[in-house]
Amino acid sequence: MFTRHVTRKFSAYLHEELSPEENRRVAEHLIGCNRCRVEFERVRFGMRLAQQLPIMTAPQSVWPEIDAALRKQPVTQMIADRRWRPATRLAIAASIIVLLVGSLLIIRSIFSGAQPSWAVARLEGTPRIGSRAIVGEGNLRVGQWLETDAGSRAQIDVGTIGQVEVDPNTRVRLLETKPTEHRLELARGRMSARVWAPPRLFFVNTPSGIAEDLGCAYTLEVDDDGNSILHVTSGWVSLQLTNRESAVPAGAACATRRGIGPGTPYFEDASEAFRSALTKVDFGGDGPARISALKVIISEARSRDAMTLWYLLSRVSEPERVRVYDRLAELVPPPEAVTREGVLSLNEQMLGLWKEQLAFAPGTNSQKLKLGKKF
Amino acid sequence: MLKQMAAIREQPQVKSAIDESVIVACQRGDRDALRLLFEEYKDRVYSIALYSLSGNEAAAADVTQQVFLKLISRISQFRGDAEFATWLYRLVVNTCWDERRKERRLVQFAEFGVLTNSRREPSQTIRYAQHELSEHVQAAIAELSPKLRLPILLKYIEGFSYEEIAAVLDCSKGTVASRLNRGHKALARRLGWLRGQVVIGE
Repeated sequence: MFTRHVTRKFSAYLHEELSPEENRRVAEHLIGCNRCRVEFERVRFGMRLAQQLPIMTAPQSVWPEIDAALRKQPVTQMIADRRWRPATRLAIAASIIVLLVGSLLIIRSIFSGAQPSWAVARLEGTPRIGSRAIVGEGNLRVGQWLETDAGSRAQIDVGTIGQVEVDPNTRVRLLETKPTEHRLELARGRMSARVWAPPRLFFVNTPSGIAEDLGCAYTLEVDDDGNSILHVTSGWVSLQLTNRESAVPAGAACATRRGIGPGTPYFEDASEAFRSALTKVDFGGDGPARISALKVIISEARSRDAMTLWYLLSRVSEPERVRVYDRLAELVPPPEAVTREGVLSLNEQMLGLWKEQLAFAPGTNSQKLKLGKKF
Repeated sequence: MLKQMAAIREQPQVKSAIDESVIVACQRGDRDALRLLFEEYKDRVYSIALYSLSGNEAAAADVTQQVFLKLISRISQFRGDAEFATWLYRLVVNTCWDERRKERRLVQFAEFGVLTNSRREPSQTIRYAQHELSEHVQAAIAELSPKLRLPILLKYIEGFSYEEIAAVLDCSKGTVASRLNRGHKALARRLGWLRGQVVIGE
């Protein structure tokens, strides 16, 4: 699938200034070309920086000075030539025609259903898009729901960047599809996604958090209460809700709760006691049960569970943090520059350094994760 | 230093209050219409001038004033065969070029003026981080060559499409795309050290 490099087109691609054909070519090339992906991230970073440029307020003094100049020389004197008038009338007439033609085109595109869509294939039973049953293949347009009953399954092509399998009793909706963002909503049920595009292009909204693809394969399940569980099979997925974020690596899982957001990620081969205690700490509220659950986590934690302990550091109370710190330091000693006091006061730089020391740190996989928000 | 999250600023979606009737009123010499036109564009014209003139606030205010005086005296030449904003920003770009030539004769560009900020209260940490980030970006943009800087300013201050930028700068859309690409890469290179320290919202 080798094609010419597309680095010169990245800004136009991100600004949606390319033709659909060029867009597809760039997206497809990015999937297979590491060199271009690195360059793409650089351009995207530059673009995000440029977006921080503020609009400054002009000083108050500017208009009085213009006004003073106008008083010296009346406006009508400055504007001598008025021969443009017939031309302006023509321009107004032309604008009205353009407006009418534009409106007609918009109305036509709405009624011809020319919105972006994803191809959907029936795998089993009779999945539905809206009220229509999919016989062989169908198209899921922005805003439409795809629903499966107990006996049906479907497969969605996520543009050119991946595939989603929709399991029985599932309800998903396409929220957005454009070169810089593809977004589904999973209201209930289970879906498995495989995404081969650069990270941070594919998102799934659930009632209790947003799953952001960081180059991966995963399964996401939402129950009737809007709570979810994520299992990552390759790469990384970030789960977020407002100011809480958990990055989940392959082999790990993470639960979310409505109104709370993502819990703490854990490796799925952790002991049953460890996992069940983690649920209590994450979502069980305060009280004696939480204290004993934290004891179980600390006693059951293996080196591989350092990731979970690292996340807990910033999610537990100060007295609890001391115990979590001691166990984590026992399992994976912190680097030299990281002090006990620094970690206990949640110094972000020290937490970041320690995270890099841990085997799970995504930075070790040339894909540095943001520690942003409250991790 | 910049550990707080800096929220991404939305691309300006300029909903102009200026329609054909305002332009026509300006062409008749209506002072209220001229004031309306000024209020609509003054901040964006001033911002482009400020970033084009390495943060020199006095020069940017002077350019803003010159632009509107030129606009008033030349508005009769605007015949509606181009977008008004495109026509206006051609005036802005040309006036900035003239000012830069004048300045170059007088002084060497030194520090970017906006960077001389005052101390802030610790309770303003997040706003401070955003402010600081934006100052680094302003300084990096000031260091770009005008060829790379102007397309960035027209894109991010005015929210122009590539076609509109091409019309203002009198070049092709392909040239705009290429200069924006180079500008973005130059910014990323100059501020690459911010990558690990700041999270720019999605």
